[in-house]
Amino acid sequence: MIRLSLLCQCLLAALLLTCLGSLLHGSGIVWAMLHGNQTLPALQLQLLLQLRLPRLLVAICSGMLLSSAGAAIQARFRNPLAEPGLLGIYSGAALAAALALSLGAGILPVSLAGFAGSLLTLWLIRLLASPNGNGSRLILSGVAISALLGSLLTLLITTLPDGALRSITFWLMGSFANAEWPQAWLLLLATPLVWLGLFRQWRLLNALQLGEATAFHLGFDIRRGAWLVVCLASIAAGVVVSSCGMIGFVGLLAPHLTRLLTGSDARRLLLAAPLLGAWLTVSADWLARSLLAPAELPVGVITSLLGAPFFLWLLRREQESPRA
Amino acid sequence: MLELEQVSLQRAGKRLLWQVSLQAVPGELCVILGPNGAGKSTLLQVMSGYLRPDSGRVRLGGQDTVGLSAARLASLRAVVEQQATVPSGWRVSELVAAGSYFAAPGQQAAAMAQALALTDTSRLAQRRLDSLSGGEVQRAHLARALCQLLASTQPERYLLLDEATAALDFAIADSQMAQWRQLAQDLHIGVVAVVHDLNLALRHADRVLLLQDGCSIAFGRTADIMQQARLEAIYGIRLAELISPDAGIRAFVPHTTR
Repeated sequence: MIRLSLLCQCLLAALLLTCLGSLLHGSGIVWAMLHGNQTLPALQLQLLLQLRLPRLLVAICSGMLLSSAGAAIQARFRNPLAEPGLLGIYSGAALAAALALSLGAGILPVSLAGFAGSLLTLWLIRLLASPNGNGSRLILSGVAISALLGSLLTLLITTLPDGALRSITFWLMGSFANAEWPQAWLLLLATPLVWLGLFRQWRLLNALQLGEATAFHLGFDIRRGAWLVVCLASIAAGVVVSSCGMIGFVGLLAPHLTRLLTGSDARRLLLAAPLLGAWLTVSADWLARSLLAPAELPVGVITSLLGAPFFLWLLRREQESPRA
Repeated sequence: MLELEQVSLQRAGKRLLWQVSLQAVPGELCVILGPNGAGKSTLLQVMSGYLRPDSGRVRLGGQDTVGLSAARLASLRAVVEQQATVPSGWRVSELVAAGSYFAAPGQQAAAMAQALALTDTSRLAQRRLDSLSGGEVQRAHLARALCQLLASTQPERYLLLDEATAALDFAIADSQMAQWRQLAQDLHIGVVAVVHDLNLALRHADRVLLLQDGCSIAFGRTADIMQQARLEAIYGIRLAELISPDAGIRAFVPHTTR
């Protein structure tokens, strides 16, 4: 096992370099500097401050939120397949956003509708599952609600006109292309709050690895603590999905990758996973922007396209290595 | 004293426990015996505060468990569950540390070291749980539970063990039970264990509770309670009592005619 501080420093360095690259790529600034041009053209400064910077911040924050929420929710349910959208949060947000779109709303109202939709789904699950600490019932209720909301979404999409259809694709694929300062501020506010809330529960998350009964015996109030974790992870999913759509696989992949490096201790995991997650989303966004430039791919396509095969490889590798 | 007073519990219309009473005291090993489905594990879960009885009282060191917070309960009792979980990637030291999450920071290291030493798991501390044998995993979980009690500042503490010998071969099971009794005396904690093996109980228990269909049949000193006729009635088979005169050891075996 690598020392945690060293690992975090490496991840941070990789993240910073990637951020710098993504920020400056193709902007002509490096070229200008190399030629001794001290003053930046106003247009390029505008590009950096109004488009690239908020987009970068949204990518960083959503990666951090998705990966820490994924790590926490996998620990809470003792299920390696769990991810932040497990309880139907994504479907709820997408449905609400599609509803807002079909009513002709703009980007920001659609984002807000998406967030409201995710909170509404969470409330609905709370109502139906009566969370008495029983995890499997919570998961199953979430799966059922997810299926229900998903079919409602499909129903709605079939009635949408072409223009709105294109916009809803953004929701289903995930993209940072519409990220502007309002979304960036929302995420900058939410990320530290959610992360801190989850990190404070590291002992509970560790204890839950031993089963819910044992966690209770060790002195944890499962009813309250586990519900808090689910709420925070769902809020994280809601904030991300409402500002940049469904970015697949980051919430699943980043915690798994981190676990390879840190082991399954929740404290180490919650420290390293956000850095790795942010690096993943920033890199994916850079690729999405530059692969087919000037055309742009939805970032969710990149994360799933690269994430799914990598995840499969990871599973094979875990199976083959003897547990020594 | 760990005191159960007329405890009854129903689930889904089925009577699981009916007016069971019991007193366990620090320094002693108290064993709950009975056939499968008698309600032994349910009774232990009521003692631990995990299940709330429909009627009757459960007191830990004079405090009624109803209304105590999970953290408070954890300072009064620790539990080794029936199935020892082996979370992937965990080391023994991480498991034992989980017992001291609620301890004052200064006490954690000392409690951990003492728990590892008492259970003879110090040399396993850095090993991964999934590389250990069944008996070693069981000892690691015992260390985890002891660590929880050692880190507590309560004057009276109890260790509850739910069929913790079920997966062990008879030699290890025997030495484990001898160790529980030793721990009860050395640390002055009360140990309550659900056990399946009559002869282990006969050899090591200070007190025995016989349970059948959720009802307490008898409770008291081991020698007084474990009478052949009573055990035959509970288990519904004939028994033969074997006595080894030189070692002074008694044992019961099924007495069936072929």
